[in-house]
Amino acid sequence: MAMSPTETVAPSSNTKNTVVRTKPPKAPQTSNSSATNHDKPRTAPAPQLFESLNDEEKRKYVKDKQVGKGTYADVFVGHFASSPSTKIAIKKIRFNADFKDGISMDTIREIRALQELRHPNIIALYSVFSSKNQNLNLVLEYCPRGDLMELIRDTDNVHYGTADIKAWMGMLCRAVWFCHENFILHRDIKPNNLLIAADGELKLADFGLARSFAEPETRMTYNMTTRFYRPPELFYQARHYSGVVDVWSVGCVMAELVLRFPFIQGDTDIETANKISETIGTPTEDNWPGVTQLKAYLAPTNVVPVKRKPFYMDLFSSLGSSGVDLMMSMFALDPRKRATSKQVLQHEWWQQEPRPSRKEDLPKRGGGVEVMGDDLKRRGGELPAEGRADKVARKIDFGAMKK
Amino acid sequence: MSRLAQRSGPPAARREGEEDDVCPVCKSSRYLNPNMRFLVNPECYHRIKNKFRKQTFEDIQVEREVDIRRRVAEVFNRREDDFNSLLDYNNYLNDVEDITYNLINKIDLDESERKLASYASRNQQTISLNVQKSLQESQNREARQVLEKEQARIRREAARREEQEEKRDREEGRRDVINMLASSDGDASRIAREGQQAVLKRSKTRQAAIQKQQQALSSDSSNGAPNGGFFIQGLKTKVEPVDEGPYDPFQGFSDKRKYFVQQNRYAWDRLDRLQKDTNWTAGGYDFREFCSRTLCEAFSGLGVFIGEEVTRTDPAFVGSVATVAAAEAGAGSKDIMMEDPF
Repeated sequence: MAMSPTETVAPSSNTKNTVVRTKPPKAPQTSNSSATNHDKPRTAPAPQLFESLNDEEKRKYVKDKQVGKGTYADVFVGHFASSPSTKIAIKKIRFNADFKDGISMDTIREIRALQELRHPNIIALYSVFSSKNQNLNLVLEYCPRGDLMELIRDTDNVHYGTADIKAWMGMLCRAVWFCHENFILHRDIKPNNLLIAADGELKLADFGLARSFAEPETRMTYNMTTRFYRPPELFYQARHYSGVVDVWSVGCVMAELVLRFPFIQGDTDIETANKISETIGTPTEDNWPGVTQLKAYLAPTNVVPVKRKPFYMDLFSSLGSSGVDLMMSMFALDPRKRATSKQVLQHEWWQQEPRPSRKEDLPKRGGGVEVMGDDLKRRGGELPAEGRADKVARKIDFGAMKK
Repeated sequence: MSRLAQRSGPPAARREGEEDDVCPVCKSSRYLNPNMRFLVNPECYHRIKNKFRKQTFEDIQVEREVDIRRRVAEVFNRREDDFNSLLDYNNYLNDVEDITYNLINKIDLDESERKLASYASRNQQTISLNVQKSLQESQNREARQVLEKEQARIRREAARREEQEEKRDREEGRRDVINMLASSDGDASRIAREGQQAVLKRSKTRQAAIQKQQQALSSDSSNGAPNGGFFIQGLKTKVEPVDEGPYDPFQGFSDKRKYFVQQNRYAWDRLDRLQKDTNWTAGGYDFREFCSRTLCEAFSGLGVFIGEEVTRTDPAFVGSVATVAAAEAGAGSKDIMMEDPF
């Protein structure tokens, strides 16, 4: 029989969906069958296999409605074809000609990280498929209740207490610990990357700046993490750092939950680095051996001694004494002295009164799907534009500092 | 005895061709005895022993199927809200239908019966709980219907009474006006107007009273039942507060590694040199994190059995990222340097 090679490799002979698969070549006439068989190029099966797998995957999801539109990505709400009541978010990343193969680094980082991670407090990536024009579609967990930033900023309508803060912090810290336990650095933890699912569960999202723990010799980039939440070692352009960069950001979120505005703010990177020096204390060889060797370390004009507990007690008394201890351990200037994400979860604060609120009792706010769409369409490191906060770039401009 | 002739009243409705019914045992037919009633034995459906029940359906197969369905439904009485998702519920219904179908069509009869019995014995509690639930629901429904009927009756009566009273008022008013006109010699139009106003006033007070009554009635319906029973609609089933124990910050997740135990320090030249370099120390590079990752990557393959993974499907994770990635790799798109571009 003159069987074409494509026929034998064609996958999913067991599936019913064969609509888009390219037709197998017609069986040639018996008289010249051997000739045609040899003419057939042997490379043909590979793209077919890929296309049919992709189509098969694509048909499992249905897009319903667009909820976000950006230059980097569009966000849709949809559902599983097999279960119409199970909703999903689809992040359609536009083909970007600036990059090789049209896929930006952020997208690769996000897919790589989320593929590895499955945790109740980390947004789930169900699937990836490509649609027409080579756009990449990420099928993500549906988070219809907006983000933590919405709740923090809406001081008029949203009121919460220490038990609620503890519950959100617990969920955030678990997510971060789980990332680190799987050797992944998030590097962009901030309130608007913390989405809220329908059941009130907090979900760490936007892994566009995430990477896996580096080999010792590998130099990592320092221009990561949105400015307000960036740890001092990244301002000083450290090339070899660890999971505690995320713990600093978690500390910033904790402080912001109490204050309801970002704890360490600056209009530029230098201003923000100086703000750390003023607010937490000035990094020196005494409190951080070796810091002066870091590339972008700038000798301070006036040295502010590292703040002690009474300073934090004034600002964050509602967290209680042990809550303040925990926050201070996250704000240690020297990364070696900073608590690891595991140590954070082992802290005694979690066991003390009040007990963290149950997730169904946490305050909520409408904002909903549109906020999720807005959050997912953004690239890592950006703060939301227009009204929600100042535009803050994530690149550091040290040119001005050097002069 | 197959001839169970019941003479208490004629049969309600005659089926077509009823006269042709013949008892297979005694051969007596309805032609001779129109009051004779044919009964079905629910055990075998074709032989008549000594256990009888009235036949509902003309087709004996339907009769049998309904009985089987009833029996299965009494055991598999899970409800949609017992399930996490509609999909799970549908899957359950599908399984139940499989068993039912097998029982009806006598496929794997022993196996199906065994399944039914084992499920019944294992889930006694939930079964009886759901029976109670449906019982409660049907009681509530009945009570509500009774209440609604009662209210409708009261409303109808009130409307009738009101109509009568209004009629009476109007007549009384007219009589008063006539009497006044007859007895006094005042202004006729004034007297007529006063009379009208009196009627109006009376009807107003009556309407207010009716409204009050109706309000009482509607508030009654929200939480009261007529025949002494008390029921409230829309109540959530009260969940007993459970003692959750101390808060677990890890929520059950563990960082225990299955295949290795990490030591505090490894004699390794490559690391010893770097561990003294301020470029690493001041930036906070954690060599334990690196060692942990290295060990994990070295040993985690020990827990992977491809045969198992291929057959196991995880319903929570419907997508297959790996499949797509593998397909991409298979398609020969090696253009992106995946190792460390960050």
